[in-house]
Amino acid sequence: MNEFKHAREEYESTPIPEELDGRVRAGIRQGKMGGRAKRHGFRWGIGVAAACMVMVGGLNVSPTFAAAASNVPVLGGLFQVLTIRDYATVENGIDYEVSVPGVESEGDLAEKVNAEIQKRVDAHLAKAQADWDDYKEAFLATGGTEEEWADREMNVLIDYEIKSQTDTTVSFVVDFAEGWVASMQQRYCYNLDLVNDKDITLADVLGEDWVSICNDAVNAKIAADESGLFFTAEQGGFTTVDDTTSFYLNEDGSVTLVFPEYSIASGAAGIVEIPVEA
Amino acid sequence: MRNVSHILEKQLTDYLVTDQARFYRLAYSYLKNREEALDAVQTAVCRALEKQGELKEPEALRAWFYHILVHVCMDVLRSRKRVTLIPPEALDAGSYEDPLPSDGTLAQRVDALPPEVGTIIKLRFYEGLSLKEISTVTGWNLNTVKTRLYTGLKKLRISMEGDQS
Repeated sequence: MNEFKHAREEYESTPIPEELDGRVRAGIRQGKMGGRAKRHGFRWGIGVAAACMVMVGGLNVSPTFAAAASNVPVLGGLFQVLTIRDYATVENGIDYEVSVPGVESEGDLAEKVNAEIQKRVDAHLAKAQADWDDYKEAFLATGGTEEEWADREMNVLIDYEIKSQTDTTVSFVVDFAEGWVASMQQRYCYNLDLVNDKDITLADVLGEDWVSICNDAVNAKIAADESGLFFTAEQGGFTTVDDTTSFYLNEDGSVTLVFPEYSIASGAAGIVEIPVEA
Repeated sequence: MRNVSHILEKQLTDYLVTDQARFYRLAYSYLKNREEALDAVQTAVCRALEKQGELKEPEALRAWFYHILVHVCMDVLRSRKRVTLIPPEALDAGSYEDPLPSDGTLAQRVDALPPEVGTIIKLRFYEGLSLKEISTVTGWNLNTVKTRLYTGLKKLRISMEGDQS
């Protein structure tokens, strides 16, 4: 069919738009999300876009990344919270869904926060791999076969959520989770005052009586609780809040305290969040 | 099972990224519109990821994906029949900036074929699919594919001869 040679050349001279690559990758992301949501029956957090490659760095790196980033909230003119790393992949039986935020701002605080998040991300990924390797060793040592092992899967999730924002401040949480036979979840809170380049403290929000205000809220919550999951004082339960107590700011300016798993209640309670009435 | 599907997903995404220009050209040959062709490719890619469980043999990947892509393009063509056509002068330049193959060439005539026949010709001679693969793409049995291929070739010849006279 030689006469088709020329027709084919003509056909192949169709110009390819620059944005095609971005559109294909966007399709892959959407498709994975659709499939995943059905498989797991839930969607993890907000705005998890799953790209098939790791993208680190500026927005100009890839059209896909720019497209993904255009969906994140853009805050004021002073700073932005952006997804700086965003991917979903499966490697050696570990199903990663990672969406890492970063703060773009002039001051040192943003840099410090980004470095801290990055450190936590790296540690979390390394720990997940180590846990998985340990589990595999134990699995095989106790009579499991390689074939049975191949069916196993662990989920590693990193995601973030912006809790509130103003022109000059932002409060967001970053969640780290690891799920297999057991699961664990950690939530780190960031409350940033970008004008003064400092962390917002509970004292900034609640005034000098912040300790008693928070303690009253927590004690009232524990007193009203009927689940029996809170530890008593003898079991190492709640005593008082301090400078290290995590919290985030809600849209209405109120405070929600965040206690890690096992800190003031048994693991079944998960991460305990207690709102403080202002 | 999960592991097998993971390998397939990697293979699938690699294929989709690598052969993207082919998909776009095929979509464009149906739709003749840059934005619609881009949309069609993205939709087909998304659908492929969602339906990857239906793909049983990796070697059928190409035919399986073209099946999805052609289906998406046909859907767009069908939906066009239900919408009011916009006169060319009302379109902005961007919607037809891509040059069509020059007038009267074989490529042009292939485009003018009814989509069913055109699909077979394009997949066979532009994309190099086997008749068996085309049968998978279109869902027609092998004999139907053959008949339509020869019908298409005949139409092309007739129109070419008509041109020469």
